Amino acid sequence: MSEIPATSTERRTFLGLLLGGIGAIAAGALGWSVFRFLSPIDRGNEDSQVRIARSLVAVGGAHFFAFQGRPAVVVQPAAGEFIALSAVCTHLGCIIKWQNDSQDFLCPCHAGRFSPSGQVLSGPPPSALDSYTVTLDGDDLLIG
Amino acid sequence: MKKNPTLLFFLFAAALLFSGQPSFAATTTVCIECHGDLPGDLGEVPVAEWQTSVHARYQTSCHDCHGGDPTDYAMAMTAERGFIGVPEYEDIPAFCGRCHVGVEEDYRESLHGQVLAFGGPNCATCHDNHAVQVATIDLINEDSCSRCHSYERPALIKEEISATETMLSQLETSIAALYRVGIDTSRLEDELFATRNDFRRLFHSVDIDKIRAQTAQFHSDLEQTKAAVAELEDTMGQRKLAGGALVLLLLLGGCIGLLIRRSYHDQE
Repeated sequence: MSEIPATSTERRTFLGLLLGGIGAIAAGALGWSVFRFLSPIDRGNEDSQVRIARSLVAVGGAHFFAFQGRPAVVVQPAAGEFIALSAVCTHLGCIIKWQNDSQDFLCPCHAGRFSPSGQVLSGPPPSALDSYTVTLDGDDLLIG
Repeated sequence: MKKNPTLLFFLFAAALLFSGQPSFAATTTVCIECHGDLPGDLGEVPVAEWQTSVHARYQTSCHDCHGGDPTDYAMAMTAERGFIGVPEYEDIPAFCGRCHVGVEEDYRESLHGQVLAFGGPNCATCHDNHAVQVATIDLINEDSCSRCHSYERPALIKEEISATETMLSQLETSIAALYRVGIDTSRLEDELFATRNDFRRLFHSVDIDKIRAQTAQFHSDLEQTKAAVAELEDTMGQRKLAGGALVLLLLLGGCIGLLIRRSYHDQE
């Protein structure tokens, strides 16, 4: 049985289909990359809140906890006034400590000092600590 | 070709801005201007040593440790402007501890700190003073430790911390590599720096039992960072594979395009 050779038109149609398929895949890959680039970053549980009993935070004291997977702290500088902050120093990322005597935060790495509201008092930190919203809910504090 | 002077100016300005060279002007103070020309220990030696140090790299200059006013020749070394000068031997831990708070705390509790008043080592004994470098595990070595006591105990401590130190170094390299390819590694860098600082505080205690007890926790913290790094590396690997496949597809597409073109020539 002899084979009939494909005509140029048939060959072109076949090759055109192949090229179209490759073009579609390439366009899909490009479109997906652009879509991923423009999509908002998935921040996981960023919107989640943390509930902490008010009794854990003494007046003039601090309570450390984890917020969105990172160390955070809530302080009560005056009765009924609660401030929640990131406990990560803005200089190089060390965890700050609460100083009961001086009523401020101290970073043990390079002696950065922050006020109870998270403002830089001295040392190398370039900016204030991130702060979080605190809502009173009965005997609890809702943070975030 | 006609050159556009405005464009050349902006290119020159951009090259200056982004050259990445440290600005010497930022670290030139009246301290260095005067002492840099003095011979010996009051001038050229400490200045030259400081210029090689980690402090110089991060623009921590003379006045940050010795106090004084780095902008005023006349008042630079006056108590009025906070000049401290050279600390006494026993005051060196407090001198360095103004910035290195945590390390000082562990040092004070250590055997080293407890024998300071009897000639025990201070910070500069191991880290040097003006030529201070980024601390590594290599600071614990027979030559250095044997100046004061046998190397048996330091060797045990070094052995205990070496696995964690190796892990720290490897993670540092991996995170730097991820940063170079455009990944935002700031959070990982922060976590690693915090862990490393706490770990190095720990071995300033020179207490082998304490180090043994706490090293496992550091190892566990680092495992978490390692897992996050591995996840990012996997993503980068997948991107490389996908990119490679796309390039192959485009090459194939080019070949098919050539074949289509050839089919028109055949028809003629």
